[in-house]
Amino acid sequence: MKDNELKNTWINIDAEINRKTTDELDQYLTAKCRKTMNKFIFLISIDIVTAIGLIAFLISTSFNRQGDLIYQTNNLILGLITLSALVISFFSLKKLQGNRFNLPLKELLEQRIKLLAGWLLGKYSKLYIVLIPVLVAMIMLSIHVYYEYKPFLEVMKDGESFMVWLQVSPLDCSFHSLLSAKSENIN
Amino acid sequence: MKSLKEEFLEILSNYQGILHKVNLIYFRNKPDREDNFQEIIYQLWKSFPKLQNKNSIGSWIYKVSINTSISRLKKDSRIEYREKLPESIDNFDLIEELSFNETSRRLLQAIYNLNEIDKSIMLLNLEEKSYDEIAEILGISKSNVGVRINRAKEALKQNLSHER
Repeated sequence: MKDNELKNTWINIDAEINRKTTDELDQYLTAKCRKTMNKFIFLISIDIVTAIGLIAFLISTSFNRQGDLIYQTNNLILGLITLSALVISFFSLKKLQGNRFNLPLKELLEQRIKLLAGWLLGKYSKLYIVLIPVLVAMIMLSIHVYYEYKPFLEVMKDGESFMVWLQVSPLDCSFHSLLSAKSENIN
Repeated sequence: MKSLKEEFLEILSNYQGILHKVNLIYFRNKPDREDNFQEIIYQLWKSFPKLQNKNSIGSWIYKVSINTSISRLKKDSRIEYREKLPESIDNFDLIEELSFNETSRRLLQAIYNLNEIDKSIMLLNLEEKSYDEIAEILGISKSNVGVRINRAKEALKQNLSHER
């Protein structure tokens, strides 16, 4: 096909396309906006309910353990992290107004590469690997210590109780793999 | 006086051909095209209030449509993102639901076989956009536009010869 044949064929394609009416376009826009908002509201609602539930638990258990400073510190750290996560999720509402598609293609692709490189190789790229298990372990610790009805230090000193906590905490896996690796080395 | 939405819908109605054509070259089946069409409208609506130069509405629509489509291709794991030509180009179920003639189908299938960037370059070239406009939409230099158009045309002609 020569250049002018290509262009003529393209004009024919253009002529064959079924255009939508303004009402149909309006319906598309309304449906998409509603769908995006609903998705966002659903995710934010889960965030809010979880965060409020966790904060309520941390406050009520702290009140019941007023003499246990370590327990209260553990709960305070968890409470602050939960609160910050909640604030960040509210800020993410701003994402709904983001306009990254209104850029030249090269800039958009460069931004994506930068973002991906940041996630994979950036300064804090591996932070979540440490942070998530530590946070879950702290939450499990808070629940476990509370229902053992003993002060924090006593629970930690009690070998049996400490092992129960390890069994339920996500650190369990890494701890056990470390132990098994060590025992293999010994054998 | 027209509301912002009315103004937007009027512009969209006049320029919707761009959205359909971008969709046509990037997505082979109707549900994907419908989804992407809706996504492009939404992205256009979001950036509409910040559109400063009302004289370059066409460029803005091309930019948002192409960027949205390429991003969706990368995001959607159901659709294969290709930097290079597939080894076999015989297995096309492209646009069977549209009533195009044989020549149009051949051209669309040949464009579909180009890589994602060449597709947009070929589209803009077929739409007779100037080098300046193509450079602005894609964010590359004018001299690079010429080189890339020639390369895309070569690839397209090769695909068309395979189609015979």
